[in-house]
Amino acid sequence: MKKGCKYGTHRVIEPKGTLPQPALKVDNTMSIYDNELLIDVTTLNIDSASFTQIKKACKGDIEKMEEMIFSIVEERGKMQNPVTGSGGMLIGKVKEIGPNFPDKSLKIGDKIATLVSLSLTPLKISRIKNINFDNDQVDVEAQAILFESGIYAVLPDDIPEKLALAVLDVAGAPAQTERLVKKGNTVCIIGGGGKSGVLCSYQAMKNAGPTGKVIVVEYSKENAQRIQDLNLATHVIVADATNVMEVYNKVMEITNGEGCDVTINNVNVPSTEMTSILVTKDDGLVYFFSMATSFSKAALGAEGVGKDINLIVGNGYARGHAELSLNIIRESETVKELFSKLYV
Amino acid sequence: MKKGNKYGTHRVIEPKGVLPQPANRIDNNMDEIYDNEILINVKTLNIDSASFTQIEEQAGGDEKKIAEIMLDIVAKQGKHRNPVTGSGGMLLGVVEKIGDALVGKTDLKVGDKIATLVSLSLTPLRIDKIKDIRKDIDQVDIDGKAILFESGIYAKIPEDMPENLALSALDVAGAPAQTAKLVKPGDTVLIIGAGGKSGMLCCYEAKKRAGVTGKVIGLCHSEKSTKRLQELGFCDYVFSADATQPVPVLEKIEELTNGQMCDVTINNVNITDTEMTSILCTKDTGVVYFFSMATSFTKAALGAEGVGSDVTMIVGNGYTRGHAEITLQLLRESEKLRKVFTELYA
Repeated sequence: MKKGCKYGTHRVIEPKGTLPQPALKVDNTMSIYDNELLIDVTTLNIDSASFTQIKKACKGDIEKMEEMIFSIVEERGKMQNPVTGSGGMLIGKVKEIGPNFPDKSLKIGDKIATLVSLSLTPLKISRIKNINFDNDQVDVEAQAILFESGIYAVLPDDIPEKLALAVLDVAGAPAQTERLVKKGNTVCIIGGGGKSGVLCSYQAMKNAGPTGKVIVVEYSKENAQRIQDLNLATHVIVADATNVMEVYNKVMEITNGEGCDVTINNVNVPSTEMTSILVTKDDGLVYFFSMATSFSKAALGAEGVGKDINLIVGNGYARGHAELSLNIIRESETVKELFSKLYV
Repeated sequence: MKKGNKYGTHRVIEPKGVLPQPANRIDNNMDEIYDNEILINVKTLNIDSASFTQIEEQAGGDEKKIAEIMLDIVAKQGKHRNPVTGSGGMLLGVVEKIGDALVGKTDLKVGDKIATLVSLSLTPLRIDKIKDIRKDIDQVDIDGKAILFESGIYAKIPEDMPENLALSALDVAGAPAQTAKLVKPGDTVLIIGAGGKSGMLCCYEAKKRAGVTGKVIGLCHSEKSTKRLQELGFCDYVFSADATQPVPVLEKIEELTNGQMCDVTINNVNITDTEMTSILCTKDTGVVYFFSMATSFTKAALGAEGVGSDVTMIVGNGYTRGHAEITLQLLRESEKLRKVFTELYA
C-alpha cells in the first residue's frame, strides 16, 4: 500500500504543491493509501451557498442539476462548486481503513459523517438517486476518501441519521458561538432563522443569559415568526440584511444606540458585510460564517467607516463541535422538533 | 449647504441602500459639497499594492495604459475601486473646503496637508489629469479632487518627516498597529510577505512585542528583499520561499520551531493562494491575521476546516485606534526603518 501525506497532498493532480482544497483537480481513484479511509457514500449534504447557486444556474430543473453535479465531480474529482468555492459534507459507511489511519477505534461498517468539506474530499459518484430541495441533500451511490487530517463523527444511536447530519453540517457555528458570547452580551444573529442561525440563536440565548439580548435578523417572515414562537431570541427583526441602513436603524433602536458586542453572520447571500460591521460596537466582534462573505468588502468596509472591531473568518472546525451541536438536539426538544420537521 | 449622512450614503447612486464602499457608482460632483464633508485638493494617490499590481499587469507595464485604466475606473464608478481586486488605496492632498456642520467639530483647517486613511474604494474622486506614475512605489500624482465623509479617518502630515515618507507608512498603518495588539512576549511569530512595506513594519513591531524570549520569522519572496530584511536585523530568522507552496514552507517552519509551529502568523503578501500556508504554519490554538487584500474568504474558511485546524483567522482591519500615530512613531524610533522607507518609497 502506498504511503500518503497527512493532508492528502498525494492526491493533488494540479496545480502541484497545493493542498487538496485549493487544488483544481484531485485524484479520485478509489483504492486507498496507507493513512486513508474509504467510505461508501449514501448522502451528500451540499453547502447551502453551493446548492442555491446550482439550483439557480439550472433554474430548478432536477435533471440539469444532476448533470451539473456529475460534471463538477468529473472535472475536479471532488464536489467543489466552481462558483462559490464551497462544498458540504457527506454521510456513509466505512468500507476500508488504511493501516496507518490514526483512529484505531473506528471499525468497518461504522456509519460516519465527514466533517471536512466536500471541497477537498475525493469523490466518485456512480448514481444520483434523489435531490431534495428542502434540505440541500443529494442521495447517491458513491465512494469517497477521508485523509488522515480529516475530521468526522460517528453517527450517534440516539439521534436519527438525517437529523444528525443536518446538525453536524453546521456544527462549527454553535461551537464558535459558545466560545464568543459572554453573560450579559448583546448579540446580533444575521440570518438567524436558517439552519446554523437557529443553533447559534439557541446557544447565544444560553450564554448571554437573562441579562443579555439576542437580536435575530431574518429575511423570511415565516422563519422570523418561528424564532419568535420558539423563544430563540429576545428580539426579531424582519428585514433584508443587504439593506444596511434599515437593519442598522432597527438594531440601534433596540440597543439604545449602543450596537452589539458580538455579531454572527449566517446568511448565504452576498453583500451583508457592511450591515454586520455597522451594527457592532467599537471593540466588538463580527463572526462571518457565511461562505458568501467577501474578504475585501469586510476589510475595507470596517476601515471605510473607521470602526475598530475584530472581523473573524468563520472556521467550520472547533474542538468538540460535533458533540456540542448534537447535545443541543439532546437538550432542546424545541430545536429537535424544528430540525426534524425542516431538515429530515 | 445640503445635509449629508455620516457614512456618505447621500453620494451613493447605485445600488440604492448600500454604503459608498460596496456601491457600484457614487456621485463625484465636487462643485458643491454637503454640510458634513471635507473637500480635498488631491496631489498624490497611493494605490493599494494588490490593485496596482493588477492594473500594471493588465496594462502590460505600459504607463499610458495604466493611466487609461485608472481614468476609466473613476469615470465608471466615481471612485478608484479596482473592479478585480475590490481594493483602493489612499490619497494625499490639501484641505480646500470644510462643510458647515463640521466647523468647530474637526481639528482641520483649510490649507492643512492631510492623508486620508479610509480606502479610495469609497472616496468620491475626480481626476482632471494624471501627471506622473511612479510604478516602483505604487504612487500616482494627479490634479484632482476628493471628498472625505464625516466618518472618514485621516492623518495630518507631520512636519518632522517628508510627506512621501509619511504617506507610504500611513498607507499600511493598520498592520503594525494590529501586530502590536496581537503579539505577546515569548510568542513565535511568522510574517509572510515580510520584505514588503507593511511586512517590514510588522517585523519590527513583532520583535519589539515578542521580546528576547520570542522568535520572529520573516518569509520573503525575492532574494533582494530577503537580503534587505536580513540586514535590517529585526527578525530572528529570514528565509526566501514561494508562499503559494504550502508544503515546502510548512516543512521549513517545522524545522525552525522544532515542530511547535507559530502562535501568530501575519500575512502581508499581495498575491493569491497563500491562505493554506498561513494556516498550516500556525499552531492549532494560534491566530492568523490576513492583511493581504488578495485573501479569499472561502479558501481560508474551508482550508482550516479541511485540515482540522482550530486556528482563529482574522480579517485585517485597516483601522484601529491610534494606528497613524503608532506607525509614524516607528519611523521616528527606528533609524533603520526610516532609512529603508526613504530609499524605497519616498
